[in-house]
Amino acid sequence: MKLGTKLTLFNTISKVVIVVLFVLLLPTLIRDINQSYTDNWLRHQKDKVLKIVSGPGINNYIQNGEGYGSYNALLKEEYVSLDIDSLNENIDTIINENRLVERDTIQYRILSHNFRVGKQNYILEIGKSIDTINETTTPLQNIALEILLGMILLTILADQVYSTYVLRPLGLIIKTKLIGHKFPNHTPYKKVKTSTTDFEYLDISIHKMIQTIENTFQKEREFISNASHELMTPISILQSKIENMFEEEDISDETKVRLIEMQKILNRLKSITKTLLLISQIENEQFLKEDNISLSELIHEVYEEISIRLQEKEISCEMDIPSEWILNHVNKFLLFNLFFNLINNAIKYNKEQGEIKITGHTDNKFFLIVVADTGIGINADRIPHIFNRFKKFTQSLQQDSFGLGLPIVKSIADFHKIRIEVASEPGIGTTFKLFFPANLIVNQP
Amino acid sequence: MNVLIVEDEKALTNELEIFLSNSNYVCDICFDGTSASEKIATNLYDFILIDLGLPDYDGLDLLKEAKKYNPEAACIILTARAEVNDRIKGLDLGADDYLPKPFSLLELQSRMQAIMRRKFGLKHSVVMLGDFVIDLTNRTISHNNIPIGTITKKEFDLVAYMLLHKNRTLTRSQLSEHIWGSIVNDDYDSNYIDAHIKNIRKKLNIYSQPDWLETVRGLGYRININH
Repeated sequence: MKLGTKLTLFNTISKVVIVVLFVLLLPTLIRDINQSYTDNWLRHQKDKVLKIVSGPGINNYIQNGEGYGSYNALLKEEYVSLDIDSLNENIDTIINENRLVERDTIQYRILSHNFRVGKQNYILEIGKSIDTINETTTPLQNIALEILLGMILLTILADQVYSTYVLRPLGLIIKTKLIGHKFPNHTPYKKVKTSTTDFEYLDISIHKMIQTIENTFQKEREFISNASHELMTPISILQSKIENMFEEEDISDETKVRLIEMQKILNRLKSITKTLLLISQIENEQFLKEDNISLSELIHEVYEEISIRLQEKEISCEMDIPSEWILNHVNKFLLFNLFFNLINNAIKYNKEQGEIKITGHTDNKFFLIVVADTGIGINADRIPHIFNRFKKFTQSLQQDSFGLGLPIVKSIADFHKIRIEVASEPGIGTTFKLFFPANLIVNQP
Repeated sequence: MNVLIVEDEKALTNELEIFLSNSNYVCDICFDGTSASEKIATNLYDFILIDLGLPDYDGLDLLKEAKKYNPEAACIILTARAEVNDRIKGLDLGADDYLPKPFSLLELQSRMQAIMRRKFGLKHSVVMLGDFVIDLTNRTISHNNIPIGTITKKEFDLVAYMLLHKNRTLTRSQLSEHIWGSIVNDDYDSNYIDAHIKNIRKKLNIYSQPDWLETVRGLGYRININH
């Protein structure tokens, strides 16, 4: 789940939980509020009544020992009663009690207060019906619920917008600095725009890490390049010496055979060095991409170079490349070597009288070249490693290779931004698919 | 033919000198740029072989001097730096050829001969081999004036290379370096030369026996011409 979604989800859940708790507690809260409000009101009424009573005198209200009573006639929501108190104790309470008012039993919140005028004790009761008190609870609860839900929705929306905004640099860092990073990278460091210090820190840390990797890569490439260059001169000397010795008249044929062995070994060293140098030169982007050539012509050139190998194993090679496909802004030398090595591989791992098919298709935005063989195939677990340098598999039928053919193919393909897909079934064959980006090929009818 | 070899690796210079002397070239050698510069200014050469990686001198500067004082000389650049840019720069400055190290001495000789042919404008170079006529200009092998159409480009290249180094045994390594040297691949020991030779023999045999093409057991192949 995305961080933004997670944050919003957490915010939403926590808010909903708090609001639900609040709404559930609301009746109790409202009752408490109402009760204290009612109690205050009752005391206020009491003070008013006592003031009224003290004016004209108690006897105006209580005549012949008969108590005074008053309530709103119809709804009986409130009542006031004044009576002579027979008891001698002090009462000043507010409690809930039932009262019978004209045959209706109604629950009231009642304030009872006794006081003394002259020698007589009087008791005052003021009541307010509980129903009246509670009737505001439900509407209040509903209103609260609606308002709060509305507020939650608004805040979720705001959260979503804000978290998307605030997390945008993170996505940008991942996209431009991690996924989009190509080695070697020659573009200068560009800071990702953000006011969040954490992201600034992340950005600079990633930049530092990439610089370290870049430096290490650079060192490795320089090393390979320097080492292969340095090896060229001694190899050259040895080669010349062997060639000159071979020509000397007083050398026996036996020695000559041994010189040939040496020449073969030297050739092996030369091939490895040249291949490594080529790969490092490609990786250092020391090649130009300025050639325009017909793809089918290029494949035919490769075919001419390689046909003797096909012939040796009686392998049939079928080629179907549209003749109107023209490679554009490529390096011919490199692409020649790419196809040479790929087809050479298809021959090397093929069986006698096997087949090779080289076909061209269009696939969406890509031009697709497929090289399929009927060879020994590659086990699925080995496919990810076939482009690694010096990776040789025991199934190799011929021992005179050193596992640099496919790495050459890969680095040339990468240099031209050609994607390679490999599918293989052991015993049936291997298919290499080369996806040429649309800008590399022009369709010229 | 006078050749100036400018190369700081003494062991290599030595071998170049032995090889070229055996091929009847007169060699002059320099191990550094300064002395080479002097020699270029005073002597006249037919060939100047310049190593680009001299310790005291930029090989390309030497090339400029050679073009100035020795305009007739053919310059071949020898270098361990095989960068594309160097090659372009060298050829732009008037080098006649560019040979990246490591190279075969036979390859050097064939390049020198190719330059000679270009320079002296040898219009038609034709060689008789038994009943066959090898036309090096039009790149054909004919029998009774009829070109043999089945001979492929590679096959002709092999015959021409052996012819250039006639009466000399060429090893399979030398032959494959000549015809596949520019391809970078991971086969170091290819006996495909045998297959090519077999094909050449088969194709020529239809007309006449190419007994001038000899298989030297265990060593390689050679073209024999007795003069």
